[in-house]
Amino acid sequence: MDRYQFEDLISDYIENNLSMSQRKQVEAYLEENPEAKHQIKSVKQAMASMKSMPGISTSAEFMNNLNRRITSEKEAKSVVKSTRSFAGYTPLMASLSAVVVIAVVMLGLEFMPESSNQATFTPAMTEQQINDLPVLPPKPVLPLKTNDSMLAESEEDSTNYDEDTPVKRNFDDKIQLVGDKRP
Amino acid sequence: MTDEFSYSDEELIARFQDGNEQAYVELVNRYRNRLMTFVYRFVNDMEKAEDIVQDTLMKLYTHGHYYRNIAKFSTWIYTIAGNFAKTELRRKKRHKVTNLSQMGFDDREYQLPSVEPETGETAQGHFAEKKIQMAIQELPLHFRTVVILRDIQELSYEEISKIVDVPLGTVKSRINRARLQLQQSLKEFK
Repeated sequence: MDRYQFEDLISDYIENNLSMSQRKQVEAYLEENPEAKHQIKSVKQAMASMKSMPGISTSAEFMNNLNRRITSEKEAKSVVKSTRSFAGYTPLMASLSAVVVIAVVMLGLEFMPESSNQATFTPAMTEQQINDLPVLPPKPVLPLKTNDSMLAESEEDSTNYDEDTPVKRNFDDKIQLVGDKRP
Repeated sequence: MTDEFSYSDEELIARFQDGNEQAYVELVNRYRNRLMTFVYRFVNDMEKAEDIVQDTLMKLYTHGHYYRNIAKFSTWIYTIAGNFAKTELRRKKRHKVTNLSQMGFDDREYQLPSVEPETGETAQGHFAEKKIQMAIQELPLHFRTVVILRDIQELSYEEISKIVDVPLGTVKSRINRARLQLQQSLKEFK
């Protein structure tokens, strides 16, 4: 064991936290080195001196000062609380309450019975007037025409189209220029 | 003696979290002097130490609901006080660096006036205490914290490890190193 190994174990040796083999090694070192014995004694004295130091008490004003700080903390809290509320509601509670009220009104309108809605309308015709209307003869039901049947009925063949002879159409009677004196 | 003495620290903080302010007062009475000793030995300034203990106990009042019963109450409160003390020392160090040339007579560290004339024995006691206090101040912060908690506050290694948030082996090694350094400093003072 060298000096550094010994110094690493001083506290454990004093506090009796070493294993049996380590303790024997330290004691063997102490036997060989009287200055190491002296060092152990000095460390023990330093520890005892620290332990014997008087405790420090707070001043007589300590509790009063602490109470004052607690009171001002409470007051600051209550001011923040009051400024953040309206009629006893915090912003969050007020918003939630508004949402709930709107939801209740919407649901109420949704589930309101229809009879109560009708009562507010004035009918354009009374039931008697409806009964007095003349009965129209039923319209003849025409058979539905399919695309094929319509093509069959047509006189022109839509596929008969000659690309070389473009169809000339006369739009003269339909066009009238500005200042045109034609009849 | 009140009924509060029958409650553990953890029971008291639980009662305070439920709104019992008397439990808070009891915790303050239990810890204010212990914390004062720890902080004063750490910062070596009575006025600053009292401010730090006040801040710590105010934090207990305002943030008491943050405490969870997974660690001992003492571990929690010492951690808060230790953090405040370290912040104060860092601030003091910065202040010293910037304002050293502007220091006047009134800027000297606050010291408690002696109430009674000192007899030979008490004077010797005060001298010894002053020597140890000076030796403690010479320790690096990470040594100072652990050795105060161990040798003055008499906390267990496990609790110190939780307070300073370093492994148990590191705590033991730091305490051992701090003791060796203290022993060396005290030898030089003689």
